[in-house]
Amino acid sequence: MSFFGFDSNLPRDRQPGPSATRGFFENPDPFAEVARARALEDDDAIDFEDTYDGLGDQLDDDQDAFNDDTFGGGGGAGPSTGAVGKDFDFFGKTATVADAIGEEQIRYTLQNPQAVLVAGQHVQPDAQPEPAFTKRSGYEKYSDPGFIPDLQAKSSVWGVSQKKPEPIPLPGMSAARKMMSLDEVEAQMQMRNLGYQPSPVPQAMHPHLADPSAYMRHPQNIPLPDGFPTIPPEVLRAQLERGGLPPGMPHPPPGMPDMHGPPPGIPGMPPHHMQGNPPQNIPPQGIPPPGMRQPGPPPNQRAPQQQQQQQVPPPTSRGPNGGLPVITDPQQLVHLTEEQRNAYLVEDAKRAKRNHKIFLLSRGNGLMTPQDKNFITRIQLQQLVAAAGNVADADPEAVLAEDFYYQVYSQIRGAPRQHPHQPLGHFAQTYLLQTGNRIGGHGNRRAFHSADNHMQRMQQQVQRAVEAAKAKPKNKQLIIEGSLGKISFSNAKAPKPMLNIKRPDSSEGPRPKKLHSDLSLSDRKSILTNIEGVYSGLMSMEDMERTMPPPPEEGDAEAIQEHMEWRQKARSLNQKLWQSLKVMEPIVPNSTTPHPFIAFLSYPKGKKAIPRIFRHIDQEQRVTILTMIVVHLDSLDVVHLAQPVPGEAQLSLAMREAIDLFSLAVMPSLLGYVNEAPFNIIIGLLGLVIAQTHVQTVARTRVGLGILTMLLSRAEIVKEAGQASEVDWQQWVAKFNVLFDTLEPALADIFTSPINSGDDMYVWQFLAAVGIGASPEQQQRLVIAVKDRVMETVAYSKTLPADMASSRLGNVNLFMRAIGLDVELLG
Amino acid sequence: MLFFSFFKTLTNQTVTIELKNDIRIRGILKSVDQYLNIKLDDIEVLDLDKYPHLSSVKNMFIRGSVVRYVMLPRSEVDVGLLEDATRREAANQAGKAR
Repeated sequence: MSFFGFDSNLPRDRQPGPSATRGFFENPDPFAEVARARALEDDDAIDFEDTYDGLGDQLDDDQDAFNDDTFGGGGGAGPSTGAVGKDFDFFGKTATVADAIGEEQIRYTLQNPQAVLVAGQHVQPDAQPEPAFTKRSGYEKYSDPGFIPDLQAKSSVWGVSQKKPEPIPLPGMSAARKMMSLDEVEAQMQMRNLGYQPSPVPQAMHPHLADPSAYMRHPQNIPLPDGFPTIPPEVLRAQLERGGLPPGMPHPPPGMPDMHGPPPGIPGMPPHHMQGNPPQNIPPQGIPPPGMRQPGPPPNQRAPQQQQQQQVPPPTSRGPNGGLPVITDPQQLVHLTEEQRNAYLVEDAKRAKRNHKIFLLSRGNGLMTPQDKNFITRIQLQQLVAAAGNVADADPEAVLAEDFYYQVYSQIRGAPRQHPHQPLGHFAQTYLLQTGNRIGGHGNRRAFHSADNHMQRMQQQVQRAVEAAKAKPKNKQLIIEGSLGKISFSNAKAPKPMLNIKRPDSSEGPRPKKLHSDLSLSDRKSILTNIEGVYSGLMSMEDMERTMPPPPEEGDAEAIQEHMEWRQKARSLNQKLWQSLKVMEPIVPNSTTPHPFIAFLSYPKGKKAIPRIFRHIDQEQRVTILTMIVVHLDSLDVVHLAQPVPGEAQLSLAMREAIDLFSLAVMPSLLGYVNEAPFNIIIGLLGLVIAQTHVQTVARTRVGLGILTMLLSRAEIVKEAGQASEVDWQQWVAKFNVLFDTLEPALADIFTSPINSGDDMYVWQFLAAVGIGASPEQQQRLVIAVKDRVMETVAYSKTLPADMASSRLGNVNLFMRAIGLDVELLG
Repeated sequence: MLFFSFFKTLTNQTVTIELKNDIRIRGILKSVDQYLNIKLDDIEVLDLDKYPHLSSVKNMFIRGSVVRYVMLPRSEVDVGLLEDATRREAANQAGKAR
């Protein structure tokens, strides 16, 4: 039980007299001093001075060639002591030499059979606890089917009574090695190098076993020394499995004590068996995990486990004489039939292969702690969240801000796809599911059974990650100290900017603009700015509308409060919008620059804004706008620029578009209001038209006629419904008469388009509106004024296809019926 | 994100894409991402005579940075909405800049 050849047995257990053979250090008898000390007295502990034999003085510094083997220096690359750091793996190192310790023990027992007999109880208890001890070494042992606590017993089987302490391999030793030819050795090595396919190895070797059965006796038949456990067949089998592979059991270095000659009577034994069965004594921590069946270097050369794989055992080159020895009970193999053995070996090879693969895969096992993994996961999730555009928060406001066009377009037209954040959200969810499964089913043994729990934790983690990402100030770039440039970050929402333009400070920006707009309210730029101001006001009001709280219930003070606040905000926004419209700007008579609001309406954008504005303003504001339009009717672009030019059949395309747009965008809004307006307002508006505008100019335009028609027809409806008081009606009739008188000279001119254009329905509508409200005398004058046009249209319609003709006649009839006639009568 | 948002509405519409190397490709817009990379399906290369190597290509992925123009079907663009979206985007940008 001594590695260095010291006798570690307690003195009382030791047999008197120096042993016949010695392991290490042949010449200076290591036990001499011990023996002397023991002779001196005693059962006490050995005094160092007594036992020290001065060996250290005789150490040859050049002879440290196997220090690495001994201390796991790895590859024998010089003294390893320099590399020993704070984390020196005492246990692992000890484990690597444990076999050697075991060997020494065996050797000692062989040397001193009596000692074994006497001290069996001591030696064995010493060896037996090892399994318990090795339990701490980790998981590799559990999965090693070949784990055998102790097998020293077998060594005594051979009945080695004495050994020749030869540092150099014995002839018998070399003879055993010679049992394989060099070719075979090479073939074996090659096979080993080709991915550990070991099955042929034993096969190749068996023929050379001169008499395998000689030493492959069943263990039961072998007399075991006291205290040695009987080895159960399973263990033997496991051992056999393990032993089936070891291709690289190297030739132990010379000078090692396991180089003793073969036990007598077993000439064909493979070398290791002749060497006192060292591998049997390999404590489990020295046994490679199942994944690495590759037999390591000699036990004392084994590096700690992590290194073992990478480390090609250097001794391999020395010969494969260790190919079989771990088959501690080759009896089993022998008892099997050839097929069984082959099958067994093939199976074993497969298993070895698989285990090797598993080992390769598991090389990194345990490198990352769960915390590390969580950290990585969090980073990944943050990336994911950033890339997905904060899908996780699913805040409709944020989504709308980022993806306004798509969102609204989808609502309006029906999305070409599903809801936009669905694919992304789905993606995130999938990812989460995956993660949950992965963690639940794979890593983390602790949480193996609680995948659900893990899911929850992952979700929480995602939430935290998202919150952290949101809370983190958005640094768009990072300037590392000492670096020459900046590192810009980019994500999906803010791709890396190509240009980094410094914006002027906001204090400088708007000032000149303001000055400008003060100077002139109606130049093009300020008008456009006004329009944009209106639009932004509109958009904020629309946003406001979206966030309107539900109507409060009775008694719910909080809801009422909330509602009130909302109303307050809405009102202030409304005021802002109203001011930006500049409807209330004072009207400057005879000014060359149009009123800001009229200028506003002269742009298509402005016209388009009217319907949206009308949605957000109250009746009073609507009537104000209507009034403003009516007052400035002849200065509207669609009126004063739309005067028919003599000689031109049509207005310019731009003007026609403007008129169309006005008719489509502004008129319906105005009509919508007028249709509900009280009669006195209609009267007032009509008065304004007469008083403030050039009626004949207005009447020559489509928009002008449209507004007049609007007012006239509303008055007629009010009268028909009997809602008009007598006074109001008289007032209205008076205004109407003035209008009629003003218009009458121009009635012939209100048909601005030639008869074949077909674009005169609005005129007939106007005439009908006038005709209904007119007195019989006025109707007659009306008929006289437009008689020619009526006759022409009727005649012209006869040249047209039936459907067009009927529509043209229908237009005329609109007017004719209003005055109690019909085109049929003209027929 | 305006352009991304905008092009998303054009998925499954036929668009014509002109690349910076003058190749013009008409095809069905399958998808677009935030870099305005574009996936086209059922493509047809205009001036195929000049680019015979593309004659057998049926679909393609175009890196956003090589696109010069995307010609859109006018009827699929809501101009008013796009104007508003542009205003919002501008407001967002202005808000971020400050």
